[in-house]
Parts: sequence; structure tokens; C-alpha cells
Amino acid sequence: MINEPTLTRRSFVKIGGGLVVTLAALPDAFTPNGADADAAVLDATRLNSWLEIKADGRVIARTGRAEMGVGMAAYFRQTVAEELNLRPESIDLVMGDTDRTPDGGWSASFLEGAANLRKVSAYTYQALLGLAATRIGVPQTALSVVNGVVSADTPSGRKSISYAELLKGQQFELTIPVAGGLAAMNDKGTGINNIMGVTVTGNPPMKSVSKYTVVGTSFASPSVEEKVTGKTQWAGDMRLPGMLHARMVRPATLGSTLLKVGALDKAKFPTAEVVTKGNLVAVVSPDEWEAMSASRAVAASTTWSEWAGLPGHSNLGEVMKANRVQGGKRGDQAKTADALKNAAKVVSATYEQPYVKHAPIGPYISVADVKADGTTTVWTHTAQSQGMRAHLAHMLGSTTDKVTVRWLEGAGQYGRTSMGGDGAEADAVVLSQLLGKPVRVQWTLQEDLAWSTASSAWISDLKAGLDAHGKLTALESDFIMAPGIDYRMVGAMLAGLPDVPAPAVGGGPAQFGFGAVTQPYVIPNEFHQGAGARVELMKPPSGVGLRGNIMRTPGQRQHVCALESILNEAAVAAGADPAQFRIDHTTDQRLIDIIRKTVAEAGWAPRPSPNPAARRTGDAPVKGRGFAAMYRFGAYWAGAAEVEVVPSTGAVRVTKFTIGVDPGKVINPRHLKSNCEGGVVMGMGEVLMEQLTFDQGKVTSIDWTKYRIPTMKDLPEIKVVTISRDDVGFGGVGEAANSLPQPAILAAVFDATGVQPRRTPLTPDYVKSLLLKA
Amino acid sequence: MPTFNLTVNGARKTVNVAADTPLLYVLRNNLELSGVRLGCGASQCGACSVLADGKEIRSCVTPVSRVGDKKIHTLEGLPGLWAAKKGLTGEKAASTLHPVQQAWIETQVPQCGYCQSGMMITAVDLLSRVPDPTVAQITDAYTGGPSPHLCRCGTYTAIIDAVQVAAKAMKA
Repeated sequence: MINEPTLTRRSFVKIGGGLVVTLAALPDAFTPNGADADAAVLDATRLNSWLEIKADGRVIARTGRAEMGVGMAAYFRQTVAEELNLRPESIDLVMGDTDRTPDGGWSASFLEGAANLRKVSAYTYQALLGLAATRIGVPQTALSVVNGVVSADTPSGRKSISYAELLKGQQFELTIPVAGGLAAMNDKGTGINNIMGVTVTGNPPMKSVSKYTVVGTSFASPSVEEKVTGKTQWAGDMRLPGMLHARMVRPATLGSTLLKVGALDKAKFPTAEVVTKGNLVAVVSPDEWEAMSASRAVAASTTWSEWAGLPGHSNLGEVMKANRVQGGKRGDQAKTADALKNAAKVVSATYEQPYVKHAPIGPYISVADVKADGTTTVWTHTAQSQGMRAHLAHMLGSTTDKVTVRWLEGAGQYGRTSMGGDGAEADAVVLSQLLGKPVRVQWTLQEDLAWSTASSAWISDLKAGLDAHGKLTALESDFIMAPGIDYRMVGAMLAGLPDVPAPAVGGGPAQFGFGAVTQPYVIPNEFHQGAGARVELMKPPSGVGLRGNIMRTPGQRQHVCALESILNEAAVAAGADPAQFRIDHTTDQRLIDIIRKTVAEAGWAPRPSPNPAARRTGDAPVKGRGFAAMYRFGAYWAGAAEVEVVPSTGAVRVTKFTIGVDPGKVINPRHLKSNCEGGVVMGMGEVLMEQLTFDQGKVTSIDWTKYRIPTMKDLPEIKVVTISRDDVGFGGVGEAANSLPQPAILAAVFDATGVQPRRTPLTPDYVKSLLLKA
Repeated sequence: MPTFNLTVNGARKTVNVAADTPLLYVLRNNLELSGVRLGCGASQCGACSVLADGKEIRSCVTPVSRVGDKKIHTLEGLPGLWAAKKGLTGEKAASTLHPVQQAWIETQVPQCGYCQSGMMITAVDLLSRVPDPTVAQITDAYTGGPSPHLCRCGTYTAIIDAVQVAAKAMKA
């Protein structure tokens, strides 16, 4: 495919502003930063920190973001390849290392990360065109570029030169304009600044979307092949000379402190050693199995203080209401109350969800090597390497230039480490510093489920007012969520070392959750308020307690469940088809288009709920269907669930889920489909079976029989419907898909039975009890 | 430490480890076969699955002393297993992936990919017994046994597709 560049050198200089392109003799050794710079990070203003074009034509691209399982290793290559007119196969991607990537940022922000490399590629492309025009002796407008080879017709015939030939034997320098900075602890030590990292600025000319040849194709990710063939080096595979394996001995409860460390039987475990700092206890050994066996023996005889500060999981909604702390408000309270008073019909409902877990299949793993001079290197699978580096430097009372975080692949954690923290890094660093040797800390599944953060529980009261024509006149909501965004490191807390403080109660998490709502509907009167829940009782002597955090589609997932559920109930009150009810309450054509396409593909015949055949008794399955829609990060979504409920047992089975998305330009259709399918499965797990259970002191859902997630037997037929647009940019698709199943399935169970569930998970016992009560 | 002679991916290996060491740690740490993945450590997820005489076992709960002379294959050994079956040698053997791996790439199954080593092991086991499995048979293979195979990214649809792609390729 030939892309006709339309810029002259003069216009490049103009567009490039302060850009400087230089070609100089290649030095003996490549030093990305030059002589004086901080060796621990790359200088983001220098092109070579982002991109290098090697003599063999391969291109190294570097991003501070990391692959978290949503296909970013493919998308970044596609984005760079597109702007440089290269094949994505020719790009080697370096991700997430603090010393080998320039921009930092969290991995949930593909759009921002890709925008950086896209701009850098665009700047580079213009510079290369300028060089090629000079070399070939034609104006830039005469050049065409295919797969990294620049060609032009000249009076002496057609001439071609590859990027590599163009730069052969020379150092190619380009000054990249940037803003922002790398993550760092703020001066007060109360939070990490620059979570989003460095941003590339300016507006280099970029290829128009209509001319894309790589973005929009199902490019096979090289990282997939590496995983399938066993070539991937996972964080857990990191081995260093002299490295010790560690297993942690955790306190008896989330709040206990250490009374007495158990004895280690040296006759039985000759090379094992117990290490203690504060409440941090570990057993290390050069042999992993010995570390495991010895840690169990030590744990059995280690004693901890009692702690019973948790409210238990069974009545959490009421506990949160009783401990409500007002957060932000939005809308006109008096007008909305008035509209509700004057409404022809008012629908009121309370929805709630317990704590749920990110629940990665592989428990957390980190390796740390702390040298005597304080130089620290950590190998891990965090989604926020620069933030992690800032946490660790602060914990060590050191500076970030002494700490390097190297990223390696790990099991998907769906947002748990987006702010750094909440992994095994601090454990590993503390132990390595104490022992003077590299230490590999492998958490167990039990430990990962009990000691990592969870997606916070929430409860929301809503009221919707309808006029005589079944149109919404008012919507009111009051959303309470237990504290979230707790990204403190367990290892630091237990060792008594400094880290960021616990999240604020009330304002912080409530504002966060609330700010995440961008609802695509037009409702004349609205009033919403967010609140936190005071949970001082969750602040134990150990400092740890039950900790909330963000999880895939944070904040909005919860709000979408509540909001879409009240819309479904309002549609019932209006006697309206739920999909048409959304269309009747929006003016946004993209939302209307994706709803229409989704229901068409789902074979959805318009009718109000419940199903005329709905039934709440009997052994025969009864069918129902439900609908949900949403907007997030430039993408529009719709979902239609079909379920079967067996009233006598309460068993709910999702038989089909049709999910529709308009993300603007689709980058990689096959990976988009995977994200949608995976998101549906994850969301279905939340609504049907997932719940973190805990008693007064500890988490009790600590293995896969107690914290159930969907298996292949639970899999519905999943149909993915997409609309790709060239004229609206890119939207985010790694999230959101897991938000639609919850409201759609709650509505589908009502459609099937005529009884509305408003709390998850929909375990058979719970559904059965609802149907019996009704 | 007792000595154990194992046959792993077609090669004889000798290790000196405690008799109760789960095969998982022997494969990963002593034999440096990192395709084997630690998941739950309790036979609840299938991430650690390997083949023992062609049948899937959970290496996280299989003591090395119980392996005996069973032939073990890990993810790294699947191409060799296929090459032996098809009588491929030399360059051809070295450059040919197992059709299950090929299908996993063609179908782009992995998202985070952590569980997929175990998923591919199950596919190889299933296809050796049932050359042309139905969706129900595939579902049974991934949910029967000691526990269901778990994938948190929700790649189950892609796995079913890939098993069917592999089945076709293996019959060809």
C-alpha cells in the first residue's frame, strides 16, 4: 500500500515547531541519554529513548505501559507500524521497564500510551521523509513509502532507499516535545504524582484513518506465539545466581500482630531460614519446596494477636449505610425531588454488590535484588512500573534513581496494580535487603485471595419518575461504596515501613465512583450523590485490614449496574421494550446505532418485561432476557442477555449474550472480539457466583472452591457485534464489556420469573429464596 | 536427597530432590521447563497440567516419587511429541509446532495467557482420545477431571474454537 506523503520539508519544520533533526557520526557505543543524564531512566525528549531503527531494518519501540492481557502488545506495534509505514512484524516492543522505557504511565491507559508512540512515530516519519527527499533529490511530495522503503521517480529512473540505509552509519537524533513526568512520591509522602507519566506533545501530521492498512486488521500478536510456544519469560521464571525462594507466613487475621515466631526444625529443613521484620514473617531457602514445607511448619507454631474488627460479609449493605460519610453531589436536589413528587409513576429500588476479587489465576510473584549500596532491582508484573518504583524508593527511604523495576508477563490482574502497590514487590525487597541476596517471593493462592485488595462493596438507592407517557422525568441516586483505591503494599505495612496512607473515607472513593459516571441519556431532572462508608473498624493494629481497590471498569461498573437496572425497572413500569426505552431517552446517534445493531443481531423482538410466560415456581426452566447499554472512554456499548431459570432450584443459566460495541476505529477485530467475550464471562461471574466472604477477622473465600469464577460449563453462546468508524478516533475497549452482564442478567431473571433480584451474586439458594418470598 | 530418573520431553533426566517435592517444582526449578505454570497449588485450576503417558495430570499435587517411568511431556515437549507421532526428523521436526499450539496461535487464544499451557495440555490429551470432539466433549474435558480448568480472562470460547481447528489439522 502506498501512502502519499503530502508534506514538504518546509511544512515539516513549521509543524514540528522546536523539533531538531540531526544526523551525526555514530558514536562507538549508543548511550540513549548522553553522558550526564540519570542512568536510571531514559530521557523522553530524545528519539532513541522511544524508537530505534536498526541496521537490519528492525525497529525497537518502547512504552512504559505493559501487556495486561488485553492485546496491547499487538496494538502498540500496529500503531507504530501505521505511522511509519512499516509492517508490525518488524517492530520489537519493550514494555514496562523503568530503565528501558521513557514514559511510564499505567497500563490501563492504552489510549494515552499509544498516543505517545503514535506521535513519536509521526515525528520520526516526517524527519525520515525529509532525509529521503534530500538523499534522492526530489521534493517530499514525490516520495512514497512501502514497508519502510522510500521510493521516488527521478529523471534517472526510480530510486528506492530503506529507512535503515538512510540512517546507515549515522546517529539519527530528533528532539521529542514532552510534558509531565515520571511517577514520584509527593513531597508529603501521601500519594504518587504523575501516575499518567510523560505525555508527548505537539501535533505532528498523522496518517488519516481512512488510509490505515495495519490498524483495523487482526494482526497476530507476537506475544501470543511466545506464550503458546513456552518462550515467554514470566515474572515467575526470573532466576538469579544465589537467589533464595521465599514463602510468607501471614498473620492469623488481617489485623493480627506477631506474638512469637514459630520454631524452625533445622534437622528437617537444613537450608531454610526464618526472616522477620515487624509483623512480616517469611521462610527462605535455596530450594523452593523446602521453603514451602518449612513455611507451613513455621506457620503452624507461630502465634498472633487476636483481632475481630471486620463486620463480616453477610450484612455489609446495612453496615455501609449505618456508617455513611457524605461525598460529592451533582444535579438539582430540590427540582428532582419536585419532579419525583409530580411524576405519574415512581420506581424505587436498592441494588447492592459484595466485595469481589480480581482473582488472577497465578498468585502474585516478585523477585528483588537489593545490593549493599542500596541499588535495587525488582522483577515483577505490575501494571504501573514507575509508580511501583516510587513506592519502593519511598519505602526504602531512598531515591528513585537507586531503584529499577523490570516488567515481565504475569497472570492478568484487571486493575489491581494500576497504581503500583498491592503485590509481592515490597515483601521481596524487604527480604532481599535483610538477607543481602536476591529473593523470589511467590504468594500462594490462599494468600493472594486473602491479602490482596478487592473491588469494594457498594449499595445504591435509586428513584426514577415517569410521566403519563412513560417518559423519564427524574432520576435520583445515592451511591455508597466502601473505601477503594488502596494501593498500599502489604509487605511495607507488615514490616512497619513507610508507604502511602490508607485511602480517605468518604470524599475520595465516593468522588471517584461518582466521577466515573457518564450516562448517555437525557433525563430532565437529576440528582446524584456519592458517599463513602466509615470503616474505622477495618483499621487494625497490623495496618492491613480489608482493603478496596479499583477493578476492570472501576466505578462505572458499579454505577452502570445500578443505573441500568433502574432503567430496566422503569421500562417495566412504562410498559416499554427496554432497548427501545433507551433509544427513547437519548439523542446520541452512536448509542442508538449500537443498540439497534445489537438487538437486530440478537434476534430481539420488542416487547415489555416480564415475559408473558414468566413463572416463579416449577421444575421446568423458564426463559428470560434483559438489556443494558453504556458509554465509556469514547466507546458505546449494548448487551442483551438470555437466561434460563429453574424456579424450584433457583439455578440461573446464561444461554446467550449478545454484546455490541462501537469503539470508533477498531484497531484489531480479533482481539476486540476476545476482549468482549472475556469481559462477558468475567461480568457473568460477578453476577452469578462471585463474592469475597469474610468473618470478623479474615477472608474465608481463599481457594477456587470458595471463591468461584466461571468455568467452561458456565459459558453462554457469546455473539460480538461491532461498528467501526473512521471519523471519531479511538475508544477504550479493554474494559466495559464486564459491566453489561450484571444489569442485563438481573433484568433477564425478572423477565423469566417476574421477580426482580437486586443483589448479587445470584446463587441458586438466593434466587430460590427470592422466588419463594415473592 | 533421593535420586529420581525421569523421562521428560523425550529425554532422560536425573534429579536429586526430596521425595515429596511436587513434579511442578522439579520441572520448573531443576529442569528449567517454565512452560509449566503454578496456579492454585491444590489441583483446583489446571494451570500446572502436564502429560504423563499422554494423560493430563496436575503437576502441583503429583509428588516426584509417584512419577515412576511415566513419560512426562510439558508445553515445551509438544512439538517433539507431534514430530515423533508423524515421523518428522531434522529441520522439519525442529520447525513444526504441535497442531494444538498452531491452532492456539491461529485462533489467538491467550489474553494474559497464564493458564494456557494447561489448556493446551488438556487439548492434546483430549484429541488423542477423541479425534473429532463435539463442543459438549470439549466442555467435559475442561470441566471434568480433578477440577475445571480456570481462565480468568474468559477465553473459553476461543479455546473451544481452537480445539476444533486443531482437530481438523490433526486429521489432515
